[in-house]
Order: sequence, then structure tokens, then C-alpha cells
Amino acid sequence: MDQETVRTICYLARLEIDQSKSEKIQKDLETIIDLIGSLQTIDTSDIEPLYSPLEMTAFMHDDIEKSDNKKEKFLENAAASNEDYFLVPRVVE
Amino acid sequence: MSIQFKSIVDLRAMLDEGSISASELTQESLKLAKKYKELNCFVTMNEELSAKKANAIDLNEKDSSWLSGIPLAQKDLFCTEGLRTTCSSKILSNFIPPYSATAVKKLEDAGSITVGKTNMDEFAMGSSNETSFFGNVHNPWKKGYVPGGSSGGSAAAVAAGIVPAATGTDTGGSIRQPAAHCGITGLKPTYGRISRWGMIAFASSLDQAGPLARTAEDCAILLNTMSGHDSKDTTSLNSDVPDFLENINQPIDGLKIGIIKEFNLGDLDPQVQALFEESKKNYEALGAQFIEISLPNISASVPTYYSIAPAECSSNLSRFDGVRFGHRAENTNDLNDLYIKSRSEGFGDEVKRRILIGTYALSAGYYDAYYKKAQQVRRLIKNDFDHAFQSVDVLMTPTSPNAAFKFGSKGAQNPVELYLEDLFTISSNLAGLPAISIPHGQINSLPAGLQLIGNFLREDQILNAAHIFQKNSDHHQARPNLGDF
Repeated sequence: MDQETVRTICYLARLEIDQSKSEKIQKDLETIIDLIGSLQTIDTSDIEPLYSPLEMTAFMHDDIEKSDNKKEKFLENAAASNEDYFLVPRVVE
Repeated sequence: MSIQFKSIVDLRAMLDEGSISASELTQESLKLAKKYKELNCFVTMNEELSAKKANAIDLNEKDSSWLSGIPLAQKDLFCTEGLRTTCSSKILSNFIPPYSATAVKKLEDAGSITVGKTNMDEFAMGSSNETSFFGNVHNPWKKGYVPGGSSGGSAAAVAAGIVPAATGTDTGGSIRQPAAHCGITGLKPTYGRISRWGMIAFASSLDQAGPLARTAEDCAILLNTMSGHDSKDTTSLNSDVPDFLENINQPIDGLKIGIIKEFNLGDLDPQVQALFEESKKNYEALGAQFIEISLPNISASVPTYYSIAPAECSSNLSRFDGVRFGHRAENTNDLNDLYIKSRSEGFGDEVKRRILIGTYALSAGYYDAYYKKAQQVRRLIKNDFDHAFQSVDVLMTPTSPNAAFKFGSKGAQNPVELYLEDLFTISSNLAGLPAISIPHGQINSLPAGLQLIGNFLREDQILNAAHIFQKNSDHHQARPNLGDF
């Protein structure tokens, strides 16, 4: 883990880290990666990953039309909206 | 009449005999919350709506169902319609949900009254309640000490007797560890038992809601109401929900309790060991048998968890982008800049650290080495449990390797130090198993918890074992001296 990797991960996660905290973050990440790296010593050949403790197929429900439209309430939580839309900085010139 | 420290069972009797009304009960609870404001266990109070609902209950035809008129506190991770829900984060500090979480709705439909939303570690990421944007919660047993986390506000509110019970969520121990540190009872049910709909997600394959209360009996009352299938949550189990109160009082003669060899209890703090040995003797006197059992991969639980949980967190928390809800940064140049600045201003350090670890673990070139590897080890851990439950009914461990500690004393230099707090609790989340923490004595005047882990969907067995223990001891009746608050 070097500063360049930290910068790349930060960008992928859309996060900015204060310059003053950058070294500490690098050190913390190294410590945690060392911790999870300790799993490499365990033999997992032929072991299927367990992504959920339930291992069941997602429950299907009947395809029935329901009307609980709360558009206004959802838009109220946005910092900026205009009638039916969330507003963001201009994307297309 | 004081309602402080009363259980739901006590309060139900008072309401039924008419010695208190739902309105008086709610007002008393709100008054206690104000009196102990310095504990900082609430982020938002629900004074107006709770008074209104209590009044309506008093005016309606008498309803003696368990939760009618009972004040409860909800962890501020459950969406509550019209009531601010922050997850103790700056990024959600102005969020008013348009709907309520299924678990909360079920409790409210049963007549309970939400008096407020409780403080927690930001996005449930922490074991000491020190990562909240709204400040630390004090342990009611000692000012300046942590209540545990992440459901620290819920645990402190119950321990201080402000409410008889509260909701929490548990991703790696977040109900059980604060319950242990605050001297109360906390249950993490089987994964899928309670709907996750409306819970703000941290790690979706590990998160599970559950109750914190003074007794196992009260936990059973809440679990009865909170459980059940929900078509809005695709991981909600479609299994029968037994009445958890009905068989809670069965004798436990012949109950087989497993002690996990790999936890090397002999290496623990002698005081933690001594309490554990004493509880073992108490269970033996009640007819239980102890069997030492090996779970060869359980020591890998902490690293497995700290690969899986951050990976799921980095994916779940990508929804916070400043566009549709939550904090939005000002003066941004373009959309990408808006995402980066809103997230960087809105999230605290621990949340950022976990998002970064998760992003790294899921990134090209590392996915197989970290994320997939951890999910493979997770299966080995689950297989160990399956094997263990062929010869025992429940497993017993201390809930935490230590009692509550001072603010700032752990994890500042090395975050992994704090991660080890969850050594005994994490494995049941990885395997999706139910587990409960009950008080079983004190270490230097601070409470300590005993954990019972049950087999899949066997909350009834651990509630039964916990209730019989509480019937024959008084550790759960110990109360903090709140003179400093």
C-alpha cells in the first residue's frame, strides 16, 4: 500500500482525504489489509464461497400493480429539485 | 409512581390495573430522557407524536396486548416516517424518511410508542459509540466510559431505565456487546427472522435487527412482534414464527452447552474467566451439561468479517451522493466534484476507512484474494457451527473479552485493537445464527455479559436458557447509580 494506491482507492470510492490525514490512513489501511491477509494461510481449495447465510433464491412476489407513489415526499429530501427532477450541476454543455 | 427500570411485564400490569395511563407512562419516559440528557443516548425526541398516540390509546377501548401503550426507543438506523433518521451521520443529519422500517411499523402497529431515536456509531460502524456525529454516549454505569456499540444509545437508554426496551441492529455484535457493557439483555435473531426493509444498510448479508431490554422475557415479547416474513425484503425468511414467550419457562435439565475450545478462555482477563466459571456452575446446578467442542476455523472470524463487512459497506454507502437525499456540498464544479465533496464532508473517519478497505478488497486484482477468500472461509466457519450443533444445543462464551473502557482509550493508534472487541460475537453474524447476551456479574463495578449462541431459527432455546438463568439469579436486576448524570 503506497500513497498512489491510497489516491486511486479514494478516487474509486469518490472520497477525498485531508493531506494531513493521508499518512495515518495509509498506515491504518496497511494494518487492516495485514489482518485480512492472514486468511491466506487457510486452505480453501474446492470450498464454495458463502455469500449469504441463507443460500436461498430470492423470494418472488406476485406481480400486482400497487400505488404508493410518494414522489413529493422523496423530492423533499433532495437538496435541489425542480418539479419532477433532482437537480445536479450541468452535465452537458 | 416511578416507572424507571421497570420491565415491559411490570408496566403491562400497571397499565392493566389502571395505576398508570399510557399518557402518564410516555410523559414519565420523556421526562427521564430529559433528566439524563447528559448520557447523550438520544439524537431526536418524538415528544409531540408520542403524546398524541398515548392519548389516543387512553381514549380507545382497553387493549391489553403486550406492547399497547409501552414506550420504546428506536435505533436511529431504522427509518421512521416523518421523524428524522440520521444513522448518527452528518450526511443524513437532515433526512426525514417518507416511510417506516417494517420492524418499527410492526412495533408501532402493536401499540408501542416511539419516544425517540437513539444515538449510535455512525452507520453502525464501531464498537464503542465514539464514531457518532452527535457525540459519544456515556455508559450509565460510569461517566466517561463507553456504552459499547454500535447500538450504544439504545443500550444506555434501557440501562438508565428511560425506556423498558429499544431496538438495535447487530452486524458483528452491535446489539450484544453494548447490552453486555450496559448490564442489560440483547438478542440478535437468526439472519432473515426480522425484515431489514427500512433499515439503513451497512453490510447486507450480516445486518439483523433485534431487541435490547432488561430481561429475556421482554426480548421475547419484542421478538414476537418484530419477526415474520416481509415481501419487501428478499432475504426475509418465510418460516413459521413460534410464540417465543410460550416456552420460555421450560426446565433446562439436560440442555447441552458447548464451550468453544479455540477461544482459549484461559488466556482471558482472570476476572472475565472467573465470572464465566461461576455462570457455568450456575447452569450446571440448573441441570445443564457442558461439552468442550472444537470449531477449528472460528479464530478466523475477525479477519473474515473485516473483509466482508467493509466490502458490503462500500457498495451500500455508494448511494450517498448528495443528489437524492442527505448532505450536499456547496460550490462544486461538476457532478463528480459534487459526489466527492458531499461524501467527504458527510462521512466521518471510521466510515471512510471502511469504505476504502471495501473498495480495495473489491477492486480488480484483489477481489479473489480478499473478498472471495473471506466468503470461502465464511463457509468453513458455518460448517464448523453445523458440526457443533450436531452434539450441543447452544454454545456459551463471554460476550466481550473485557468490560466497558474509557473514552478514547482504544483504537486511536490502531483500529484493529477496537475490532477485537467483537471477537466472540462476529462468528454468529457470519453464520447467520441467533445469539443473546445476558448480564452475569461485574468487573470493577462495570457489568459483564454472557453470550449464548443458538442453532439456526432456535431463538426459543437461547431465550429459554437465558430466562431460566435470570429466574435463578439477580444480575439482570442490578441498576447503575445515575448520580453523576
